Amino acid sequence: MDSEHIHPDGNQVELETDPAIAGAKQPDLEDPHVVLSLLESDQLVAAKRRTHFGQRKLSFGVRALLWSLRVYVVVMMLLALISVLRAAHVIR
Amino acid sequence: MKRTNDELTAPPTDRAHPTTESAAASSAAPELERLLTHEDVDRARDRWEVVRARRKGAGPGSLGGVRLLWLLIGPGVLVFLGENDAPSMLSYAATGARFGVGFFLPFVVLTFVMGFVVQEMTVRLGAVTHRGHAELIFDRFGRFWGLFAMGDLVLGNFLTLVTEFIGVRAGLGFFGVRPSVAVGVTLVIVLGAITTGRYWTWERITMGLAIFNALFVPAALLARPDWHAVGHAMLTWRPLPSGSRYEILVLILADIGATVTPWMLFFQQSAVVDKGLQPRDINAGRFDTALGTLLASTFAIAAILATVPLFHHGINASDFQGAQFAEALEPWIGHVGAALFALGIFEAGIVAAIAISTSSAYAFGEVMHTGHSLNRPVRDAWPFYLTLIGSACAAAALVLIPSFPLEFVVLTVNVIAVLAMPPALAFLMLLVNDREVMGGHVNGFWENVAGVAVTILLIIAGVGFGLATVFPKWLGGG
Repeated sequence: MDSEHIHPDGNQVELETDPAIAGAKQPDLEDPHVVLSLLESDQLVAAKRRTHFGQRKLSFGVRALLWSLRVYVVVMMLLALISVLRAAHVIR
Repeated sequence: MKRTNDELTAPPTDRAHPTTESAAASSAAPELERLLTHEDVDRARDRWEVVRARRKGAGPGSLGGVRLLWLLIGPGVLVFLGENDAPSMLSYAATGARFGVGFFLPFVVLTFVMGFVVQEMTVRLGAVTHRGHAELIFDRFGRFWGLFAMGDLVLGNFLTLVTEFIGVRAGLGFFGVRPSVAVGVTLVIVLGAITTGRYWTWERITMGLAIFNALFVPAALLARPDWHAVGHAMLTWRPLPSGSRYEILVLILADIGATVTPWMLFFQQSAVVDKGLQPRDINAGRFDTALGTLLASTFAIAAILATVPLFHHGINASDFQGAQFAEALEPWIGHVGAALFALGIFEAGIVAAIAISTSSAYAFGEVMHTGHSLNRPVRDAWPFYLTLIGSACAAAALVLIPSFPLEFVVLTVNVIAVLAMPPALAFLMLLVNDREVMGGHVNGFWENVAGVAVTILLIIAGVGFGLATVFPKWLGGG
């Protein structure tokens, strides 16, 4: 993690001092700088398209957890199906 | 101002990281200025209102704080009132009719507390990363695991969506409205809500509809609840339910599935992103989620209390659907009460149909990397809107097929939601503990304890259901 990128409340501090909107009653949203001033850098559509959180390396424990839960879901879905078929039989 | 489409942007190059840096202060600002979209401008407009309310809220005795909360609430209220959907309200009604006032009242409150624990995590994930849940799962766990998560979501969402139209049909059926008209009206409302081209407008319209979930409160009052028994049950969890343990277990599962489901995780995180919440808004997001929890649990309890007269008069409601509940209640809570109950089921179906189809569309757009925001005009994000409308239309069409086994779907949907939840919670817990994604907003010790406890409880409930299915005689079922 790049801890230097964490800037608690940084956006709002900059927002309130940004000349584009500081003291403004109604900012001009036709001005691109004003739009940028109101949003965080990774909140923009273009920025999100260009940057992605990379894939994490899954440890053995995490993979085991995900596989066991996957098996759990498949087994339970089958049991749910059996249960529904039984219930439907009772209803009819 | 020059606005461009996403297609002009370069392919992904950089690694994302949690940041609160203003876009204007970013080194990429000159380029980003050229690539602004309609979605960015609308989101900036919403953020401007938040900045202005924050400034006004700073003054002594100002109402700016109230306005700030009004601006920032939405996803949490919508997700919980959306989850008080037609099958959920029918589960609560079945609970009241079968077991009366007792164990299930505090149990339902507990399920909402569980819901709050997991939904709060999605607020943080959305506000910090500005990414939807499906996108983060694909990014961090890869396509293989992402497709599994999407498979669970798509199956659960579609079945749930079908039950919403069943609810709509049943609710209006009480007033003699033909099924095709009831389903058609709902589709028009869903379409009307999404064609505004603004997240904010969509959110307020849907919240306006969702507040009619409160119709169950007057219906409950007309049932003249025994408040002493209600207080006793809330404090002591008694009397315990008696009868078939299998039936009790299924109702326990259905009531959990009525509150904690995968679509809620995907929906709230995506809505938080679409609303444009930032890390500084997390406390407001928590308030929003708590408000949704409080409202939804109150209305759920009301639905239980409204049907308690059926319990007292020994009426078997095990196979009732929406209209039948209302009709059966009429001798005990009057025509007005029954009508309120039926309208409540109709409303629950409409709001959930809007929220669940939006949840599917958000997830589809995030995974396919196409536009996925209600701030986008239809021409800019047609695959997103097509998914939303297409899923709603397909579910509506199924409900109108004369021989379609509606009871199968209603029986299954909440149970499937509970069974599919543990893997969804595992992804959620892994993401919210991932420092590369969350930075300083990772889960604390107690948040992890609560999250793991909810997951274990859901697994135990699921395994109990499995055992009861395989060995029905053990629990007096089958």
